[in-house]
Amino acid sequence: MAKIDEVKEQVIIGKTKIVPGLVQEALNEGSAAKDILQAMIDGMKIVGDRFSAGEIYVPEMLIAAKAMSKGVEVLKPMLSAEASTSLGTCIIGTVEGDLHDIGKNLVNMMIGSAGFDMVDLGVDQAPNKFIEAIKNNKNVKLVACSALLTTTLPALKKTVDAIKETGLSGFKIIVGGAPVTQKFADEIGADGYAPDAGAAAEKAKSIIAA
Amino acid sequence: MIIIAEKINGSIPSVGKAIEAKDAEFIKNLAKVQSEAGADFIDVCASVEVSKEVETLKWLIDIAQEVTETPLAVDSPSAEVCAKAIDFCKKPGLVNSVSMEGSKVAVVFPKIAATKWECVALLCDDTGIPRSAEKRLEVLEALMQKAKEYNIDPSRLHIDPLVEMLATSDDGINMIVEVMKEIRKRYPTIHITGAASNISFNLPARKIVNQAFVVLAMNAGLDSVILDPLNRDMRGLIYATDALLAKDEMCIEYIHAFRKNIFGVQK
Repeated sequence: MAKIDEVKEQVIIGKTKIVPGLVQEALNEGSAAKDILQAMIDGMKIVGDRFSAGEIYVPEMLIAAKAMSKGVEVLKPMLSAEASTSLGTCIIGTVEGDLHDIGKNLVNMMIGSAGFDMVDLGVDQAPNKFIEAIKNNKNVKLVACSALLTTTLPALKKTVDAIKETGLSGFKIIVGGAPVTQKFADEIGADGYAPDAGAAAEKAKSIIAA
Repeated sequence: MIIIAEKINGSIPSVGKAIEAKDAEFIKNLAKVQSEAGADFIDVCASVEVSKEVETLKWLIDIAQEVTETPLAVDSPSAEVCAKAIDFCKKPGLVNSVSMEGSKVAVVFPKIAATKWECVALLCDDTGIPRSAEKRLEVLEALMQKAKEYNIDPSRLHIDPLVEMLATSDDGINMIVEVMKEIRKRYPTIHITGAASNISFNLPARKIVNQAFVVLAMNAGLDSVILDPLNRDMRGLIYATDALLAKDEMCIEYIHAFRKNIFGVQK
């Protein structure tokens, strides 16, 4: 098996200690940094799919992402030298009045693993915080808004409305969180919705390509 | 948690019969299934009359080594027998056990000094089993002095503070918990061991008592245990407790053990 394929396999099973060395070996074998990164992204897609299917548990997804980030550290100096491999910037945050961040953090990690540069605003963020972040960051392609409570669903609508009212463009808005449904996402005019972190990464990629 | 697998013991009636009948397949199977269940050591105890003990242990050890690479725990009430059994083993294992009684330490420690063998040591001496925590810790210090003389690192010792039956205890396991915590404090790298089932002797539904004991003892520092590794409920409980005690980062060991079908609904 080529080292680059081993990198992918070891990311999938979350071998945080082994991945950095394998990434270096893959580089030594002549693989390009961006191809190794892509192999890890492909591995994380499999991880995300398995999570969505209920085949693996949250810690297994977390440790796979950790393994990938260890691998990315090795690649970083080379990636900045090569042409940009980023899919763009994604602004993510939990909406105003909602303090939950575990689900948002998982989505942050998985969308990041899919190749986006993440800007995490944190929890309890008013609509104008999202808007400022869209203005203050380069190459924003995606805005991801999270709400865990039925009582903060209206804040999700308020956030989407406020962003749209600014007339800013060039990005898509996705929403998620336990009480959020595709139907609700459609009603409030969001561009996309995903039921879990694995699916969110896929949705992020497909929606900016659309 | 270090698992010392207890099933190859002549005092268990079915094993006693297999030894009597020289039923090698029966012993082989016990070694195999315990090894597959992830035991760290497989205990081998003859429980036969003294004149036959060494040859019986050799027979058991030879058979076990045919089917498993897992290190063995050579188990005898006689330190001399343990010392002889060491020579039958292909790789370093665990001596089960010594104490400060008689010449046990003098027989075993020089034999394992320059090896990687580990050793179970019971906190009793020629006066018996001390009643107070203070006295048991005195035995511990005497033992550690001997270990130091023979250059045996604390990390090679499994201290058994001697858990006695709950049914006749005045203070539950409070005294033992105190001893365990103090051992852990004094020697951070030492192992603290015990049989998981002594505690429940002469009580109904023993496994419930055993499970409660293991959880509380792990909280006090128990990190090695003698039990049946095929006891799925106990294994799951131990993995869960390690995770709860932050000894299993991100619950990965727990999940892996579940995937290996060590506990949970039998697949």
